[in-house]
Amino acid sequence: MTTPAPQSRPPFYRDVRILSWAFQLLVFGLIAAVVYWLFGNFQRNTADSGIPTNFDFLANPASFAIPGADFDSNESVRNAYVVGILNTIRVAVVGIILATILGILIGIGRLSKNWVVRKITTVYVEVLRNLPLLVIMTFTFLGVVLQVLPRIENSWVPLGLLVVSNRGIGVPWYQDASGLSLLLVLFVGFLGWWLIARWRHSVSDRTGEASRASLYGGGFFIAVLVIGWLLLGASYTLPVVDGKQIAGGIRIDPSYFAVLIALVIYTASHIAEIVRGSIQAVPLGQGEAATALALSGFQRMWNVVLPQAMRIAIPPLGNQYLNLIKNSSLGAGFAYFELTNVTQVTVGNGSPAVPAFTLALVFYIVLSLIASSFVNLANRRFKLVER
Amino acid sequence: MTTVSVTKPSALTWVRRNLFRTPLDAILTIVFGSLAVYVGIRGLLFVFVNGRWEIISVNLKLLMVGRWPADELIAIAVALVILGLWAGLIAGIIAGRQVRKGTSAIEGMTRLERASDLGRRFGLVIATLLLLLSLTDTSGPWLMVLFTFVGGVVGRLIGGQIGVRSLPSWVSRLGIVVMVVIPVWAYLYMASAVPLADWEGFLFNLSSAAAGVVLSFPLGLLLALGRRSKLKLLKGMSIAYIEAVRGAPLYVLLLLANVSLEFFVPAALAPSKVVRAIVTFTLFTAAYIAEIVRGGLQSVPLGQEEAAKALGLSPTKQMRLIVLPQALRNVIPAQIGQFISLFKDTTLAGLALGILDLLNAAGAITQQSDFRGQGLIIETLVFVGFLFWVGSFTMSRESQRLERKLGVGTR
Amino acid sequence: MKLRKLLVVLTALTLVLAACTSDDGDTTTTAAAADAADAGGEEMTSLLDEVIARGELKCGTRDALTGFAVLTEEGDHVGFDSDFCRVIAAAVLGDAEAVDHVDLETADRFTALQSGQVDVLSRNTTWTASRDGSEGATFLTVTYYDGQGMMVTADSGYAGIADMDGVIVCVAKGTTTEGNAAAEADRLGLDWEVRPFDDNDLIQEAFGAGQCDGWSADSSALTGIRADQPDGPDSVVILPDVFSKEPLAPLVLDGDTAWAQAVNWAILATITAEEWGITSANVDTFLDSDDSNIRKFLGASFEDSDGNETTLDAGLGLPTDFAYQVIKQVGNYGEIFDRHLAPLGLERGVNALWTDGGLLYSPPYR
Repeated sequence: MTTPAPQSRPPFYRDVRILSWAFQLLVFGLIAAVVYWLFGNFQRNTADSGIPTNFDFLANPASFAIPGADFDSNESVRNAYVVGILNTIRVAVVGIILATILGILIGIGRLSKNWVVRKITTVYVEVLRNLPLLVIMTFTFLGVVLQVLPRIENSWVPLGLLVVSNRGIGVPWYQDASGLSLLLVLFVGFLGWWLIARWRHSVSDRTGEASRASLYGGGFFIAVLVIGWLLLGASYTLPVVDGKQIAGGIRIDPSYFAVLIALVIYTASHIAEIVRGSIQAVPLGQGEAATALALSGFQRMWNVVLPQAMRIAIPPLGNQYLNLIKNSSLGAGFAYFELTNVTQVTVGNGSPAVPAFTLALVFYIVLSLIASSFVNLANRRFKLVER
Repeated sequence: MTTVSVTKPSALTWVRRNLFRTPLDAILTIVFGSLAVYVGIRGLLFVFVNGRWEIISVNLKLLMVGRWPADELIAIAVALVILGLWAGLIAGIIAGRQVRKGTSAIEGMTRLERASDLGRRFGLVIATLLLLLSLTDTSGPWLMVLFTFVGGVVGRLIGGQIGVRSLPSWVSRLGIVVMVVIPVWAYLYMASAVPLADWEGFLFNLSSAAAGVVLSFPLGLLLALGRRSKLKLLKGMSIAYIEAVRGAPLYVLLLLANVSLEFFVPAALAPSKVVRAIVTFTLFTAAYIAEIVRGGLQSVPLGQEEAAKALGLSPTKQMRLIVLPQALRNVIPAQIGQFISLFKDTTLAGLALGILDLLNAAGAITQQSDFRGQGLIIETLVFVGFLFWVGSFTMSRESQRLERKLGVGTR
Repeated sequence: MKLRKLLVVLTALTLVLAACTSDDGDTTTTAAAADAADAGGEEMTSLLDEVIARGELKCGTRDALTGFAVLTEEGDHVGFDSDFCRVIAAAVLGDAEAVDHVDLETADRFTALQSGQVDVLSRNTTWTASRDGSEGATFLTVTYYDGQGMMVTADSGYAGIADMDGVIVCVAKGTTTEGNAAAEADRLGLDWEVRPFDDNDLIQEAFGAGQCDGWSADSSALTGIRADQPDGPDSVVILPDVFSKEPLAPLVLDGDTAWAQAVNWAILATITAEEWGITSANVDTFLDSDDSNIRKFLGASFEDSDGNETTLDAGLGLPTDFAYQVIKQVGNYGEIFDRHLAPLGLERGVNALWTDGGLLYSPPYR
């Protein structure tokens, strides 16, 4: 029998803690050395050629105008960045909402009992998912906007409500309402919707009667919109063709339209797959139980299956949302003034390239972090519901 | 009211069950059915009647390999034949090993069944190749594809013979080295004929995606191990890299690489646009590969590691022989997915760096004096989209097949 | 134990990594050292010596601007800017074809110069104060006095830009044209929407589809674009207004006077030659000209004050016969202009010699 060796401190070259720190410092040192070398080169090269490396250029006048924004060429580069970020957010938020709706519909369609619907949605998903987004976007811009939409002289004016041309799509809009008051109305509407939904749910939990939260809440929302519109003067403008431009209403920029459509149809094909997988992951018994309760097909899907499926779908959906935000940078190639385009144009007008692009990159990373924290929040909230 | 049919399913029943179950169903069927028929007819008319495809056949070489010098095309042919042989060998060895282990799926099949299985899996690719060949007016491409095919078949037959044998370990190790060296050699051989900077057209899209995925793998593996590590500093650095890269759009990274790389490395090292694109693809993809590998490592049950330990394997051997092989095998489908995604994203390099890749070439040829101002962009985009689609679709189906075979997610 | 095992694995992996990176490290440190040495020695060695030693000029250009630089199917660069690359090569190296034409995008042309990817940029670049100041570049003799103009379709009915109110103007991204157009609209009190596109191909699509009313670019470039219109040059009109000064000049990196002077005098030689009426066809007849100034210029021998036969070496670091090589191999300014720009329908205008009322004026060569 051997007795276990007495415990003693190992020599330092066998001490795990020391070794691990030495190892980490070694790796860190290596990386630091590479970074130092790269940065040293950068400093020397920029100093040699007299290029600024600081962010002073943000205060310079931009010297370019941004279509569709209240931005003239004497404002600072900093303000141009702000407009760019807002435009990125604009296309991303609208895109996420539309892609989610379309994706859910197609995802459900792929599991439909209707053969035609099943086949069409399958073809949609398999085609769109396997195409490069840039090909789709080139198609929506060069193909759809520039070739299918008519010239301004021959605009389509369905019912006198819309003006559709390759210079943009005019939509009826509030007149003379400031963005702030519109936001206020929307905020009041959504707040009311949320409060009413909570109230209805609690009533439903207490008494067992149907909650109809969407009905009451949505009704309130629409009522607020209508009342708000009346309060703001009850005025509206219809888009009309005025010479070479669309006057009145609100104009959807053609590049925005092309970029949005491409982002939506591409992302929806990925979301549809996620939704399909999540619905299939909901135990079959749930649907059967709903049928046993004599719920209609719609109720079964909307009230029983989808809520459970969406819970599973949130993390991968979040990834798709992040992808959409990042993919919106492709809009720069099609004259949509989002963050990347603003950066490219300001670099063309004399801003130093490296700081300008680095700034854009940092904005994207921050946007992604914000978006992913929203997703995590949603994930945690819906996980809590699971008992 | 719908009644449940109890008679034997007939065509009529099928129609009623699948198309007209409820009134809503009927409406959906009619609306979407007529839409599909309309789009289908328009599509067929476009492809066979209205489409003006001469722009494609005239510019086929430009679209495929860009301005690759005509007298160096032989290099592509040689590399392709070798790669065909290589792919055949690998397929053969894998099939042979399956036969030896008794897990072969094809052994029980008749020749006809095997042919139809292959046809289902690769028919689309073969049809596309034949389509492309039919557009050429020289015999070179035909011969190239023919020899590549012959190379593949020969490789498959030889590989099958090698695979069923059990070889001494030094031979199989040597074999692995040879199999790794062959594609690298083919790549370098082509690069020696025409410098990397001049790789254009579809060749750029394919080769740079392949290079990006292969090169990013070691870095991704290290990042994954780093992120899993208990060493705080290492873990922190890995997480920072992975999250920062995953939060950044590839397009902006490419733009940044385009204008800034020469400031960070000495002028002598400042690489060509193609190399720049590959470097960016590599650094970008590594972050995603890291996450995939991390998932793979998590999927290996702890018991495996404990069992290895119980066998008295050293920690290195535990990781190298037990954990990593299982982890990496499990992530092969996800890696194919990453390759598909990068393959599609290579089009961004055309826009950001001005490389004449397939998509950029498709735009450029519509400005040629013979084709200008005729709206041919639709035709060229459909062609480009079709090539990318065939590639991505076939690969994603193969990866799903592999996923089922490996049983990922079912264990 | 797990920690240790992982540690060992990681150590093994990093040893491999370290082996690789230390290799890299070695090469990079030597490269960095070499770089530092370069930086230190930069005052002594000029790009001029480097180009002569290399035997080839790396000239930044473009591949598709009709008249200025076009990449032909045979892989040659043809055009006004490309010929000035050849002028420099002929002067410095005695061989007009010893040029590596490097195609650059508008957005990365300055970076290419700054990083040493090219020796000189001859890529119709406008000389502005802020570029001179903050791009680290020195602009040389102007080769073409240009101005920004506007192209519209022939049936639009616009006679001048003052008629164009409430219109969409398309421009190429990354140039001064956006700023000029915005400023001009402000000045005239017009409401223009200026849409910048990535390249001329995209603008062509948008312009052809009627998304843009006007296409604004340098007048010379517009002339080339007009000649290339799918419906023929008469389907479009270039308006007479020119609303900016765009002196296009080649540029070299700051702080290398010897190189800048050499390139400058190569270009000036084409102007001097035109002043004297020396062309590529008749240059040989001038070698024994009675005018000793011409003989000095062409590097032919002349009689100095002591009656000795000698040639003039101005001390520019160029061969004494550089002007002869330039004119013989490429031609004088007028020839270059007539070869590439006149066929597009461009007039000499302000780009005529000062003796003809234009702006071209070369300091005397003596």
